[in-house]
Formats: sequence, C-alpha cells, structure tokens
Amino acid sequence: MDSVLRAAAMYAALMLLFKIAGRRSLAEITTFDFVLLMIIGEATQQALLGDDFSMTNALMVIVTLIAIDVGFSLLKLRSQWVSRLIDGGPTIIVEDGKILRGRMRHARLIEADIMEAARSSQGIETLEQIKFAIIERNGKISVIAKE
Amino acid sequence: MTDQDEQDDHRSRQFPVREDMVFQHKVWRFERVGWYVLVLLVILTLLGLFSRGPLSDRELYSSDGSVGVEYQAFHRNGSANAMTIRLKGQPNAVLEVELGGDWLEGFEVQALQPPPMRSAGAGQGMTLWVQADERGQASLYLSLLGEGFGTYHSRIATPGGATVSFNQFIFP
Repeated sequence: MDSVLRAAAMYAALMLLFKIAGRRSLAEITTFDFVLLMIIGEATQQALLGDDFSMTNALMVIVTLIAIDVGFSLLKLRSQWVSRLIDGGPTIIVEDGKILRGRMRHARLIEADIMEAARSSQGIETLEQIKFAIIERNGKISVIAKE
Repeated sequence: MTDQDEQDDHRSRQFPVREDMVFQHKVWRFERVGWYVLVLLVILTLLGLFSRGPLSDRELYSSDGSVGVEYQAFHRNGSANAMTIRLKGQPNAVLEVELGGDWLEGFEVQALQPPPMRSAGAGQGMTLWVQADERGQASLYLSLLGEGFGTYHSRIATPGGATVSFNQFIFP
C-alpha cells in the first residue's frame, strides 16, 4: 500500500515544486542543471523506495508513476482547463522587434536569453530582425524572423 | 515603463499563438508566492521545524529537579535522534525510572547507554534501574529511530513522584 502512496505523494510534491520553479527551470540543460537534476533524483529515490529494496516495491513505484502520468495525459485530452493548468500556455515576449519588458521580467528572462535563442535557431543578429519571440509551454524560446 | 506599455503587456494576442494573459499573470503570481513559501520553508528547516534546531531542541526538568530530559520535539520517520534522561537521587544508590506513554509504539530504541542494571516491562512502557555515582547523578543516553507518524506521548517518572511528560511529533 505505502509504495503507491509514496509515489503519488512524491509525484504531487515534485509537480507543485516545478510549477513554482516555472517553465524555464531545467528546460535548457546546462552543466549545473544536470547536476541539480541528479541531486533531485538521488534525494527523491530514497523517499520513493523507503527501506524496501524488493523488486515488487520498485516495480509498484514505477507502475504508479506511469499510471498517474498516463492518467493526466488522458485528462488533458478531455479537459482544456486541466491541460492549461498542467502545461500552461505560450507567451509572446518580442513583437515586431520590440521587447515586451513587463512580460520578460515576470518570466525571469533577460534580453541576452532571447538573442541567444534567436542566434542559435535562426541566425538572427539584431532585435529588429525578430518578428516574434515566444516562450513555449516547455520553456524554450522560439523565434520567428521577419521576412 | 509607461501606462501604454503596461496595457500592451496585459493584452492577450491571438496571433501567432493564442494567449491568455489573465491566466499567465496568475501563473506568475503563483510562482512568486511559491518562491516566498520555499524560502520560508528553508528558514523553518534551519530553525529546526523538521528536527535538529532551536525549534526542536527541548529540555525539561521535574519541579524538584530529580528527573530531567533533553529531547527533540520533532522527528522524521527513518531518522535517529538522541534523547538524554538525567536522574538525581541519593549518592551511590540504585535509581528507578519509569518510561511510560505510547512513545515505544512510534520509536525504536536503537541504543541505550549505559546499560541499565535491570529492566522490566511496565504497561506500555518500561522501568529501568540505573546505578548513580557518588554525587547521586545518573544519565541515560538513548538513540531513538522514528518509525511511526504523528504525535506520541512520553512520561518519565520516578517512584518519588517526580514526573516529566512531553509530546514528540514524527514527520513522514
């Protein structure tokens, strides 16, 4: 019984924490993010398994996590509201070469982040060449160049 | 930033993506409030809300001073903490102490030092007999592993009528 409860509680807690952390966290894996991810994994593992290292326990934890995950994706298909709550929505941060500063500040981004995405995806050199820059639901910045 | 820009930030665009800025601002507010909550949790943890810190370290003595205990008010399931019982009586006497309450259901006693001269069951708890030194003092050092979840009550008493009682909480 407790392996299911442990897995469900950890899933809920991690979901809440990553919602607080926002879209940007762990979206672009830097070296430090990678280390952070490993530490989170290590810390979670103990709480998930407890002191029971049996195969049954490990399998039940995995089964529970996958069941919750598939359950949520089915729920997202049925309900627009749930989908938006879990995945969020896209946000435009550059419109016709002009940065929407308030939004950028709320999203905890700086101009360099946008220009980096613009260079790497479109080979864009200046802000004026950007038609739209959008923070996608997964936290990546996609850039649409002017014609 | 001008009011014009402020208005512009809040307006939901329909192209190239469909936005909902009212919802997005709620999300950003949630992230901000959430961050404050995380910082608060870190501070509370440093202070010992989840055991080992000023909020959790407790010390209690009976009114006549013959029984005392140092314990942690907060424990975590699966982690061990120390508890010290201090007794005071006649020089070189054998002191009797009863550890009562339901705490043995929530804790596993991993170590008990020095070993008591004799021990016996006493209801839900146990009674121990320990040798006092020439000043009439004796200390018992316990290592408690939290195994349950919730509040557990402890009562430490001597036949002379001195009693300390306290609660300990175990986090999951």
